[in-house]
Amino acid sequence: MSDPSPSLHLRQRLRRGRDHLATALITAGGIGVIAALLAIGVFLVVEVVPLFWSTPTDTGHEVSWRALWLPQSYEGYDAPQHRWQPTVTSAEERPQYGMTPLVWGTLKAAAWALVIAVPLALGAAIHSAMFMSRRLRSRIKPTLELMEALPGVVIGFIAGLVLAPWVERHLAGALALVVLLPPGVLIAGWGWTRLPVRLRRCLPLGWAGLWLVPWLLLLVAAALGLAPWLEAGWFGGDLRGWLELRLGLDYASRNAMIVGLAMGFAVMPSVYALAEDALSGVPGSLGEGAQAMGATRWQTLWKVVLPAASPGVFSAVMIGAGRAVGETMIVLMASGNTALMTLSPFDGMRSMAASIAIELPEAAFGGTHYRLLLLAALALFVFTFLVNTLAEVVRARLRHRYRRLGGAP
Amino acid sequence: MMSHDLTRGEGPWPWLAAGSVALSLLMLGALLVLLAGRGLGHFWPAPVALVELENGRWLAGEAVKEARLPGAEGSGTRGRERLYRTANRDLDDGIWTWVALETIADVGYPDELVVLERRRWGDFIGRLMAVERDGRPLGEGKSAWTVLQARLVELEVLRDEQARLRRKTIMPLAARLATGPDAEASRDLARANAQLRELRAEMGRDRLVLESADGRRLEQPLVEVVRAWRPNAMSPVEKLAAWGQGVWRFLAEGPRAANTAGGVWPAIFGTVLMVLLMSVLVTPFGVLAAIYLNEVAHQGRFTRLVRIAVRNLAGVPSIVYGVFGLGVFVHGIGGSLDAWFFEEALPSPTFGTGGLLWASLTLALLTLPVVIVATEEGLARIPDQQREGALALGATRLEMLTRVVLPMATPAMLTGLILAVARAAGEVAPLMLVGVAKLAPQVPVDGDFPFLHLERKFMHLGYHIFDTAFHGGDVQAALPLVYATALLLVLVILVLNLTAIFLRHHLKVRHGALPRV
Repeated sequence: MSDPSPSLHLRQRLRRGRDHLATALITAGGIGVIAALLAIGVFLVVEVVPLFWSTPTDTGHEVSWRALWLPQSYEGYDAPQHRWQPTVTSAEERPQYGMTPLVWGTLKAAAWALVIAVPLALGAAIHSAMFMSRRLRSRIKPTLELMEALPGVVIGFIAGLVLAPWVERHLAGALALVVLLPPGVLIAGWGWTRLPVRLRRCLPLGWAGLWLVPWLLLLVAAALGLAPWLEAGWFGGDLRGWLELRLGLDYASRNAMIVGLAMGFAVMPSVYALAEDALSGVPGSLGEGAQAMGATRWQTLWKVVLPAASPGVFSAVMIGAGRAVGETMIVLMASGNTALMTLSPFDGMRSMAASIAIELPEAAFGGTHYRLLLLAALALFVFTFLVNTLAEVVRARLRHRYRRLGGAP
Repeated sequence: MMSHDLTRGEGPWPWLAAGSVALSLLMLGALLVLLAGRGLGHFWPAPVALVELENGRWLAGEAVKEARLPGAEGSGTRGRERLYRTANRDLDDGIWTWVALETIADVGYPDELVVLERRRWGDFIGRLMAVERDGRPLGEGKSAWTVLQARLVELEVLRDEQARLRRKTIMPLAARLATGPDAEASRDLARANAQLRELRAEMGRDRLVLESADGRRLEQPLVEVVRAWRPNAMSPVEKLAAWGQGVWRFLAEGPRAANTAGGVWPAIFGTVLMVLLMSVLVTPFGVLAAIYLNEVAHQGRFTRLVRIAVRNLAGVPSIVYGVFGLGVFVHGIGGSLDAWFFEEALPSPTFGTGGLLWASLTLALLTLPVVIVATEEGLARIPDQQREGALALGATRLEMLTRVVLPMATPAMLTGLILAVARAAGEVAPLMLVGVAKLAPQVPVDGDFPFLHLERKFMHLGYHIFDTAFHGGDVQAALPLVYATALLLVLVILVLNLTAIFLRHHLKVRHGALPRV
């Protein structure tokens, strides 16, 4: 093809040149941005390594890997102890760096959060994937998505300053609530089967997520009303005293239960969203086949849908665990931040994330304390990264499996 | 019969599943109602009770809450106590009084009780006896209230004049004098200062004579009074007006009294500015990375790995990003900048400490995965025929991207950006490491060159909640404002998220019409 005119040829080359330039820029920029993101891990490793490499100048003695995790003997204590006390008040004292209580606190908070979040999220996911009416579902999903967006600082504030004092004052009421709610809901289900058909049609199971709310409110009122009787009858009128005497549990106002409840509330929507996607993504033919054979919806769910979707549900729980481990503000505001290592759900704890948030601004740049906190950050990074990768891989497999089974993409 | 029904139907378990949906909704609703009720209710003028106790004491205050006395038994009013906010910190050394219900002889709500919002000592609750000017009474008894209201309006005018004088005349003159001696300027400055003194003297002439509920007298300079109202004498319409005014002042004023009173304007400003800066930083880079991943990079195993890694970075805890920001931006880059350009200010750091720029950068990094993932999803949604069509007609890749692909992916980018903003507005933990302040005396934008001060610390709504609720002296006094701040933050984030949801819906509808491969 010969050139019609030299100026057109020039323009052509200019266009081509501009295209090459843009492609190069996009490539460079894209790689740069992604490298900057991945640099987080590199930075943490680089900053943490000197901790075990050279003798730090600020404390004068080396930090050994064993000393961080095993109990150490400290002055004033008979037996070796796990202690995290990085700031010292006088020159004679030695800062105490035992990471174990922080890891313990992190895992304890996350575990309690999952204890609350997983049943709630899976229950909600099952209901909205299998039973809920389509119209309601298209409203509920975005609502719970909004719940996910609630900032941690607000949830932490409510948990630490409103919920914690309330539960402390109404401990028996809170206990009564936990005991009464599940049977209360079952009673609602039983009562529903007794209703005349006309009324039952007004209150279909597909909308139960909505019309059970007033019933729950009623249950809450009943539980709070019954609480004094319960306390007087079973616990000698004072539940806290009973806990302390009989079980030896000291009740701290900001404790693992409160953290679990608040963080469960925060984590629940993301677990729900992923689990719901997994459940409703199961090819319809599977469930329809089971129902055609005479299975009820619950049997279909339990025997067919749930096994098919179990990897997705697993990855949803994993993602929830990752979020619970890294959540900072809620633990910071609702846990009391004492580095304890106890099993009791009524004790506070101090998590790694909260420690970083509190102590890092005061830690001397480059010192042992600073590097230890960075080690904690590295641990969080590695843990969440691994957990998320695992979840992602499992989900990818699942999508592949659904496609093979001939469902929706 | 019952077991028969349960096994024939779905059984009991679906009800537990339905119950968990209901419980989640209930908790969410309760949280929002609590925030809205407490946050907005604070600005409603509460009735002021005049309480006579059985031992003959009197007190006046707003009832806040009731609780059971520790260790008390019985029902009804026995064994319960009520908390009154009696204010008058200058008279009583405290603003709260617990009163056992049994000891109350009488409760009344007389019209003449006034509440004064003051710059020092917090609120005053009691009676207004007289308004005096230079020691001579302007109004006494009943007329005192009308005189006070008129004087407050005049005072507001004087205050505005004072502020204008300071801003328009004195500050520029002082700036001129700072550059060198200037006879005219110093003469003008002296005149302006004299004017200012006059104004201040004019404002300081009035005094109020107040009496607390138990009969103690108090002289109060009128200058320190910000607002006065008689809640018991107000009609609902007046209360509504006062409520609106209260909300407005909360939004528009700065905090007073160690963040326990006043408003949150600097925190709103700081949050918005930080988020804006973050958006400016995150959008181009996020879109660039997404285009690279989806349009330019070779779609092999490596790209897939990178994609998974980027997606997973969205799940890395925000505090880790804060640590990165502190180590790399603040200490690394900021420290070097200080050593190169701001040596004269050392050892006090300029960029080597947390500030607006580093906070925005950290949050930009934090939200980068969100933008990349959303944009990539948008790009992947566009059918390949569109690209092939453009290329077949002779377009270069750049032209194909800018004329065809990017316009179609705009709603997806916008969704990603809004989600990023919503996430960034609620993040507090990383900010605690890279530049938020509990009380920033100067907002980061002002009239001095270069107008936008990237190195300054700033206030943030979320951190304001944390700090006021947990580090304040009197939590009970600060609580209503914390509720209001939390409500504001939640509203901002909900609106942003709703916009994103709406956009995504719109996007789905639009692309639903396109042929899919």
